[in-house]
Amino acid sequence: MANEKVKGCVIVKDLHYSVKDNTWIKTDGDIVTIGMTDIAQSLAGPILHAKTKSVGTARKKGRPIATVESGKWVGPVKSPVTGEIIEVNESLVSDAQLINRSPYKDGWVVKMKASNLDAEIAEMTTGDAAVSAYRDKIEQEGFECSHLEGTDSYD
Amino acid sequence: MDDFEGKKILVIQTHGVETPTRTYSPLFYAMAAAAMEIEVMVWFTMNGTNQLKKGEAEKVQLVKDSNVNLKTMLEMAMDSEVELRVCQQSLELWDMKVEDLIDGVEIMGATSIIELSLTYDHVMYF
Repeated sequence: MANEKVKGCVIVKDLHYSVKDNTWIKTDGDIVTIGMTDIAQSLAGPILHAKTKSVGTARKKGRPIATVESGKWVGPVKSPVTGEIIEVNESLVSDAQLINRSPYKDGWVVKMKASNLDAEIAEMTTGDAAVSAYRDKIEQEGFECSHLEGTDSYD
Repeated sequence: MDDFEGKKILVIQTHGVETPTRTYSPLFYAMAAAAMEIEVMVWFTMNGTNQLKKGEAEKVQLVKDSNVNLKTMLEMAMDSEVELRVCQQSLELWDMKVEDLIDGVEIMGATSIIELSLTYDHVMYF
C-alpha cells in the first residue's frame, strides 16, 4: 500500500480523505469502510472508549457514526458519506486503542452502504493531493504524530 | 448507541479556578453530549463564574506539561458547539464586568435560566 509520512503522520495514498474531519474511506463498490486517520488518533491520544452507532442506522454525510474518548478529548467521528451502517468494528469495544495502533487497518470504525458515493467521493481528497493537504494542515498547526507501542509499521 | 438527536442537557458548574480538579469534568461531559448530537449548555454560576474571567483559565492545568489547560477545554467545548452561559448576578461576586469575560460566553439572568431548565431533558449539577 503506497503511503507517505509527514512529521511522523502516515497518509495512505490510495484511501480517500475528509481532511477537515480527519476521516478516511476505502471503497468496494458502494460499500465503504470508514476510519480515523493517523493524525486524528494522535490528536486524541490513547483512546479509552469508542462507541459506534448501531447497524441499520442511516447517516447523512457529516453526522456522527461514533463517539471516541481519550483522557484529554472526546468527540464525534463524522461520516464522510451518506448511507446506512451495515457493520461496526466490534473489536473496538474491548480494545479501543486499535484505532491508535492500526488506524488504517484493524482500527476501522464502521462500514456503510453508501447512497450518494459518486458525488461525495468527488469532494474528498486522495493520493498526492491528500499528502499535500495534510502537509499544509500539519505544518500550520505545528503538529507531530505520536504512536503507541505496537503500532502498525508503514515503512 | 441510541440516537439522542433532539435531546437537551443543561450542565450547571458552580466550581472555579480555586478547585482545578472540579473544573475539567463538567466540560468533558458537555463535549461528550455534544458529540452524541445532544444539545448542551453549560451554565456557570457561583464560583464557576471566575473561570470565565480573561486570563484565569490559562492558569489551571491538571496535568503538568500537558498542552491542555482549562482555557483550551473551554475553547474545545465551544468548538464542539457547547453553549456557554454565565449568571449575570454572579459576575458581581468576582468584581467582573461584561468585558472581563472570555469571548463566546453569553450572559443570562436567573429567570431565563429557570425557564430554560424546564425545557431541558436532563440537568447535571456540579
